[in-house]
Amino acid sequence: MTILKTEKLKKSFGGVHVARDIDFTLEKGEMHCLIGPNGAGKSSFFRLILGEHRPDGGKILFMDEDITDARSFARIRKGISVKFQVPGIFKALSVHQNLTIAFQNHLHGHDLEATIARVLDFVSLADVATEPAGALSHGQQQWLEIGMAVGVEPKLLLLDEPTAGMSPDETHKTGEMLHELNAQGITILAVEHDMAFVEQIASRVTVLHFGAIFAQGTVSDIIAHQGVAEIYLGGGHGG
Amino acid sequence: MTDISHEKSLVDSAPIARRSRARRWLSHLEGPQTFGSGIAFWTIFVLVVAAACAYPFFADGWTVGNAAYFLVWTFMAMGLSVIWGYAGALSFGQTAFFGLAGYAYGVLTINVGETYGFTFIALVIAVALAGVFAAVLGYFMFYGRIRGVFIGIVTLSVTLVFETFMAQTAGPQWAIGSARLNGFNGMTGMPPLTVPWFGGDIALWPDRPLYYVLLALTVIVYLGLRMLLNSRFGNVLVAIRENPERAEMLGYDIRLYQLLAFVVGGALAGLSGVLYTAWGQYITPNSMGLTAAALPVVWVAVGGRRDITATLIGTLLVLSLFQTLTIYGSQYALVAMGALLVLIVLLAPEGIVLGFANLVDRLTKRRGA
Amino acid sequence: MDFFSTAFAIIYQFGDAFAFLVLSAAGLAVIFGMMGVINLAHGEFIMCGAYVTVAVARMGVPLPLAIVAGSIAAGLVGLVIERLVIRHLYHRPLDSIVATWGISLIATQGVLIVLGSTMQGIGTPLGSVQVGALSYSTYRIVLMAAAVLILLVLWLLFYRTRYGVIARATIAAPQMARALGVDTRRVYALTFALGAALAGLAGGLYAPTMTLVPTMGATFIVESFVTVVVGGADIFLGAAPAAAILGVIRAGLTAWQGQFFGQIGLLVAVILVIRVLPNGLSGLILGNRR
Repeated sequence: MTILKTEKLKKSFGGVHVARDIDFTLEKGEMHCLIGPNGAGKSSFFRLILGEHRPDGGKILFMDEDITDARSFARIRKGISVKFQVPGIFKALSVHQNLTIAFQNHLHGHDLEATIARVLDFVSLADVATEPAGALSHGQQQWLEIGMAVGVEPKLLLLDEPTAGMSPDETHKTGEMLHELNAQGITILAVEHDMAFVEQIASRVTVLHFGAIFAQGTVSDIIAHQGVAEIYLGGGHGG
Repeated sequence: MTDISHEKSLVDSAPIARRSRARRWLSHLEGPQTFGSGIAFWTIFVLVVAAACAYPFFADGWTVGNAAYFLVWTFMAMGLSVIWGYAGALSFGQTAFFGLAGYAYGVLTINVGETYGFTFIALVIAVALAGVFAAVLGYFMFYGRIRGVFIGIVTLSVTLVFETFMAQTAGPQWAIGSARLNGFNGMTGMPPLTVPWFGGDIALWPDRPLYYVLLALTVIVYLGLRMLLNSRFGNVLVAIRENPERAEMLGYDIRLYQLLAFVVGGALAGLSGVLYTAWGQYITPNSMGLTAAALPVVWVAVGGRRDITATLIGTLLVLSLFQTLTIYGSQYALVAMGALLVLIVLLAPEGIVLGFANLVDRLTKRRGA
Repeated sequence: MDFFSTAFAIIYQFGDAFAFLVLSAAGLAVIFGMMGVINLAHGEFIMCGAYVTVAVARMGVPLPLAIVAGSIAAGLVGLVIERLVIRHLYHRPLDSIVATWGISLIATQGVLIVLGSTMQGIGTPLGSVQVGALSYSTYRIVLMAAAVLILLVLWLLFYRTRYGVIARATIAAPQMARALGVDTRRVYALTFALGAALAGLAGGLYAPTMTLVPTMGATFIVESFVTVVVGGADIFLGAAPAAAILGVIRAGLTAWQGQFFGQIGLLVAVILVIRVLPNGLSGLILGNRR
């Protein structure tokens, strides 16, 4: 079953095309990675899905429902969660407050507290629950935001470079977290640079280049793809 | 968290549900969004309220009426704290709602009179009017997605235009029913708040009875706002202040939340406006001018806009300082207010009361640890 | 009334409103466009310019020179305030707005204490011209020319001088400008002083037409706010066209219902505009980046 679909999605800023007729399909249960050189349009594609940018043309369908004109918050309520590249957390508020704000739309009272406890455990932040989020290490901040994104069991989780700035250990642990979430039925779409991480998590990979889909396939397909290596000079096969 | 009521009930479930709901609201009296918790805080709170109740027995009527005058302003200040401190939207025009509600109270009571408790009905209508006006103005601002700076100047423009408009209503053609608006000199002759009572209404002149009514209102509004700010609603407001994009990406319609905060703040400013008008039986366009609009900003900034308790204490402190300085002339007092505002912004942007409270908190915690 | 004199009456009304909006908003718009700060002491810089102009003119100095003196005085005060207050708040633009309000209070009430509630003015010079059946103040026509001239000079300043290039670079990318060796603090200081001087100039130009009271800045401030809100961050693509549009509204409503409705009409126009154009006219002209 298709969870997310874009049809001929177009967007340009002052003549620069960040999305050229993108036809993209994401199946339920996938762990899909978006890769591509800098400026390929990965982040813009996310922003279009989230409604932060309005497309110039084309459609976005979530669970077969047209959400092209829905406002951002309405898309989130339909079951899309997001973790930004720069940790999108409330730094002045405590870890516990961050999670409360993330979940209170869906949960109340006991269920809320139980979920917070479960998520704190899942992202290994139970010991620092009362600390201000801004005082956490960079990796912990990333995990907090993943926790905020998944506590309400979204149908689709969007991750923009979830491991940026993490140590190899933290990166690996993040990969395990994502596998666990995927096993619980959450479909994952991630923008990622670290090819080792892509290999660890992705079931399918899409390569964007100049705002268009350049190639699509399994991780090994993509690594073997001659053209991908060419456009990706320098950003190549990590590890 | 303190346990305000902790007994387990064994009776049928409907009252339990109701009680647990009430308990949940009571539990919101404390929380991450408001300073003060635990036995010590609430003991001090009760002592302060008790002292405020006992105060009229040790002071003459005029002084008590003057204390009532201070309390009149606390609602506008607390409302501004909700909008500016919690929701993060600069509103420089709270006096627009203050003036609108004040004039509305005057027009209503001059036309209808004070019998059968109508003054209180007029109070409710006038406050509702301020709330509705805030909703309309807020709709255009927040749903138009204008940025922080612009919210400040649009609201300030609104109050200044109100002032200009009311100032030119001197002619006899400017009357609503039998209420003359009276231009720059302002409207007079409306009755004070009047309680219907057996054997004759009781008019609340600026004296002990009015003081007690205002004290009760202050306590109710303060506790009510504490509960509101620690509720889901308050959580979202703070989230929007800290990071609006993120709040939206957690599924909140931030426009709606900011609008609601703006309406709460506008209605509270309206409440102050009604009480001010009823207190002195007059209101003038000056109360909506640039200087009048600046004062709530000073009170809230000095106390600490991000906390309702700090705002309340700061407002009362600054008001008494202002009155002390007025002895030398109101222009000197206003220069001092301006200087205070500049210094606070430069040196203690958190606010004096909140900064001090946080310091005490940190010191006691360190000792405890 | 023949066609020509009717047309002149309409153009005069519009030009008068346009000049007032441009002159009162220019200083505010320059500072806002550059620093993102709305200077709430803007009205007091105008007042400062007006007071100095009148004081100097009454010493016998010709009015044009007195106006220049008023403008320079306001600019110098701006420089001092920038150094004492604004500079310390660059990373907190919203707080600096609040601080300028404090300065506004100090200035208004301080002038009231020192100079009293009013100051003797100077009459409007240049007499009047007769067109058709009506006579028009020549000085107000001069003010219209002054508004256009100031826009022209500002355009030359921002697009044809070294300061202009550096200033625009600093607006576009402050970090980049710093990396290229631009002393951005100095650029900000000069810009704030320029904004203050423009406000002083507006005060000086209007001084002969007004009663001098310490609160006279409030007369200008609503008009300058709405012009900047409708215009957005760019003075040429925003404030100037906004002043033209608002000038039509204000002149029309004033002619129809009197000055107070002119102001209310402006406010309503602004509130409607922000609903559709959150970034103002300049946002619309520069392309809606959403």
